[in-house]
Formats: sequence, structure tokens, C-alpha cells
Amino acid sequence: MLLKIDMTSEVPIYRQIRDGVVLGVAGGRLSAGESLPTVRQLAGDIGVNPMTVNKAYALLKKEGLIVVDRRRGARIAVPPGTNEQFGPGFDRRAALLISEARIRGASKREISEHVSELIDGIYG
Amino acid sequence: MLLSLLIVSWLIFVTTTASALFFRERTRGGLLGIFLLRTHAESPQAKKVAAAFAKACRCALLAAFGCSFLLLTRWMRPYAGIYLLVLAFAHFSSTWMILRHYREKLRAVKQKNGWAERPAGVVTVDLGVSREKGKSAVSAAWVWLFFLLSFAPLLYLSLTPAARETFPVGFSLIGPLCQTGAVFLYYQMKNLHAPAVEGEPEKNRACARAEERINTASAVLVAFFFLIFWILLHAFIVFDGGALPTVLLAFATVLCLIWAAQRQRRKIRAAEDRIFGGLPEDPAGGEVPEEVWKWGCYCNPQDPRLFVPKRIASMGWTVNIGRPGGRALLFTIFALIAVLVGVLLYGNVKDYAVTVRDSSLSVDAALYDTTVEKRQVASVSVVDSLPDGTRTNGYAGAEKSYGHFTLNGYGKCMLYLYRDVGRYVVLKLGGNDPAYLILNGKSPEETQNLYREIRRWLEE
Repeated sequence: MLLKIDMTSEVPIYRQIRDGVVLGVAGGRLSAGESLPTVRQLAGDIGVNPMTVNKAYALLKKEGLIVVDRRRGARIAVPPGTNEQFGPGFDRRAALLISEARIRGASKREISEHVSELIDGIYG
Repeated sequence: MLLSLLIVSWLIFVTTTASALFFRERTRGGLLGIFLLRTHAESPQAKKVAAAFAKACRCALLAAFGCSFLLLTRWMRPYAGIYLLVLAFAHFSSTWMILRHYREKLRAVKQKNGWAERPAGVVTVDLGVSREKGKSAVSAAWVWLFFLLSFAPLLYLSLTPAARETFPVGFSLIGPLCQTGAVFLYYQMKNLHAPAVEGEPEKNRACARAEERINTASAVLVAFFFLIFWILLHAFIVFDGGALPTVLLAFATVLCLIWAAQRQRRKIRAAEDRIFGGLPEDPAGGEVPEEVWKWGCYCNPQDPRLFVPKRIASMGWTVNIGRPGGRALLFTIFALIAVLVGVLLYGNVKDYAVTVRDSSLSVDAALYDTTVEKRQVASVSVVDSLPDGTRTNGYAGAEKSYGHFTLNGYGKCMLYLYRDVGRYVVLKLGGNDPAYLILNGKSPEETQNLYREIRRWLEE
């Protein structure tokens, strides 16, 4: 799976790493049990401080997306069976994005079609 | 001495030109540091600009070679040190200007043809490749072995007290220090970014493996060349091989290092061409916008990294001067270089000032002042020649030599000499460190006057 990090973006790099892994898992490009590179390997490849990757992994671990084993390193976690599929703040974030699109002139139908395309892209 | 200085200057010219010529070859970043897609970089127009750039660089090199021979004329000889310094700077500046000129030319060609611009500063990493990082590398044991072997001169010196007379133990630590740099280089090369293309995990993996092997093998080669240089340099100094073989050794080492760098780039390009074929136009990602390169430095306040890969990634890392820490680091480096050059120039220009007082004689020279008491002086004499020796801590230029030296038959000496005078005042001192103070004037007459003055002072 390709992880794309924009060095000039205002989004922090650790956040971009975390988002990349989330997109990879959701899109099926990273499957449960698959191991991730070590903190040093990934930091060396991207060209950032290992602390940045460490922060991203800590965040992913906290969100339950990865498990960190001392011997086997970081791996994608088995998705937890939970009733809170949308997670905290989902509605607020989604509403905000839709509002922004509406301010930019998108109609309800356009937003609906666009979101459908994105969903298809993720679910395949 | 003049010949050694000449060879050192040629070494600098060749290194500068070779570094500039690295830009001539197509890389993932483009050509001459300008981003071009692969097809554009291989177009006849781009190739023509690159060839003209290489030709101009070679002409500048030839001009510098030619100018360096002026050193052999009797007008230039007294200013040899400064002349070569100015010449090296002039050659560096002209090469830099040639690069800028042809870069602008290529940029104009790019604009005229409407060739694609560089994508945003996106680094693309294949997680599958990153996971396997280090598995195809040449073993790090080699560079660590070379590091250990670089202590051999230190071991030899500690077992041979006589050798310590010509080669101070402290200097023998320079080799291990350089080898530490080679070890650092190995790990940097191991982490170099490999191309990654969407939907081609197997090719990405194969390319990363090949490049990791090539990069680490190059780092091991560099460490090996450093080791050989260090061991031979030590042997030349201890067994008095003379200045010329030492300079030739440095020349050969620099040529070997340039060859290793060229080999690495050639092999990387061949591997990418073989694995991806004509596929990836911009396979690496990881490229940065052209605007962030200012005066050859990386300047991007938005980039949180302090150290970033150079324009040609295989040439190492540079500092991001867009960050306060980067600016501080660059300023420190420049300040150090300025101080070093200033001290060298000052030492080259400043004449010795010999002052005789009631009970002491002082010699004032840049960084190496000395004072001897009258009771320390056992005898004074004038000689017309001095034996060969080695510098232990001092300055040895084309015009003068001063500081701490060890001369055959004399032992440890403090020298304050103008070269090619052929007359020297030798003060034998009571101790062994230094055992002699040897000085002269700019001419035999001045030296004779100095000798008379010192005799008078001793007899008072």
C-alpha cells in the first residue's frame, strides 16, 4: 500500500500517517494481522524524525486500529465488534464537510453523488 | 612543496568539477536540478543543454589547471598559498555560475515547450517495501570492521614510542573519526528513498531491494577507500614517504570516491530502467518544489524537517535553512569556515616579529607565538641547511613554515622560517620540547643581522 505524505501540507505529518493507514484499512489495502514497518524504517523512508512516526502509531493504537507487540512490531488489528461504528464526532465532522461543500455552491444532489463515489472507492 | 600545493589545488579543481558534473546526468529529480519528466529529460533539447553544461565545466577546469601553472613563475611564488586559495575560490564560483546559467537555459527550454511542472512536495512510501527495509543491504559488519581496523595506526603508535615522534597519538584518532562518518553514511544510504508506483508492489519491492544493495555496497566501498587512505597515509608519515606520495595518495583517494559515487548513480539508473522499463514518469514522489532551493540551500519554512535530502539524494543530506535551527547551523558552519580561512590568510600574510628584551626573546607569529628566557638558551649558531623533518602542529606554506616540527637529528623544534633563504639561526635550548628554536629573516643578510642581534643579547 502506498502512503503519501505531503510535506508542505498544514496537516501534521503524524496525522497524515494515521489518515493513510485508516484509508488503507478501510479500502482493504491493509488487512488484519498485516505488519507495519517499524518506527525507524518508516521514519527513514519518509525522511522524518522517528518521534513523528511513533506519535502516529500511538494514535492508531489508541484508536484500536493497530496492535503493538514488542517482538513482532506494529500490526493491523482485527476490527473490534462494536455498536459505535461511526465513532465519536463522526456526525459533527461529516456535517461540517457537507456544510463547507454547500457554502462553495454544491447542491444536495451533487454532494450525495460525490459522497456515493467516495464510498464506492472505499468499499470497492 | 610547490608541487604538493599544485597537486592539492588540482585535487580541489577535479573534485569541484566532478561534483558539478553529477548534475549533468538524469536523475529522478530531473536534470541540472530542474524537474523534468523522464521523457523530457531524455529529449534532444535537454540533452544538448546538459552536454553544453558539461563542456563549459571542462573548459573551466582546463582554465583553472592553466592558471595554476602561473604558480611556478617567480612573481607568483611568494604568494603561492593565497594565489591557490583565490584560484580555488574562483574556480568554484565559475563552476557555480556555469551551473546557474545552464539551469536557467534549461528552465527556458522547459517553459517554451510547456513541459510538466514538479508535483507538490509529496513523499510516497510503499509500506510493503518499507517493512522489508534492511533485508537486502550489504552487511553493516563491513563498515564496523573497517572502523575497528582504522584504530590500527593508534595501536602501532602505542606500541612504538619512536613513531610517536613523527606522528602524534592525537592525530591517529582522525582516522576512526572519518570512519565514524563512513558508518553514518552507510546507515543514511540504507535509508535512501526508493521509487514507488501505485499498483506495482512487486516491482516496488524488487527496485527497493536492488537499490538498497547498491547504496549500501557504495557506502562500504567508501569506507574501504577511507581505510586504505588512512593506513597508507599513516605509513607514509611514519616511514617518511615524503610530501609528494602523500598528496598523490589523497588524489587517488578522491578519484576513487568520485568513481564510487558515479558507479552508484549509474547502477541505480540501470536498476530502475530494468525493473520499471519505460513506466514511471515520476516514480519517486519525494520531490520538492524548485522555489525552495535558494542559493543552493534548501529553504522551506513549511517543512518541519531540519535535515533534508540534497537535490541529488545520493549525495547526502543538507540543512533546511527555513527553520531557525537550520539557519543557526548554517551560520555556525560558515562562521567556522570564515575563521579558518581568516586564520590561514593571516598566517600567510603576517611576518614574524622577533623582539629581544632584557632576559627574554619573543617571536610573534599567527597562532604560534613563543618566548624563550636567556637562561634556556645553551648556544646559538648559523647554518646553511636544515635536515628533512615533519610538521607536528604548525603551518607549512609555499612561502614560510612556522610552528612545531620534528627535524631529523634535531628532534622537536619550533620553526619560524621563510623558505628558500638558505640561512638559519639555530638556538639550542636546555629542554627537549622544543630542543631547538630555529628562525631566519627574509634574506641571508636579514638572517645574519638577526644572528648578530641574538649573539649580542646573549653576551650582555
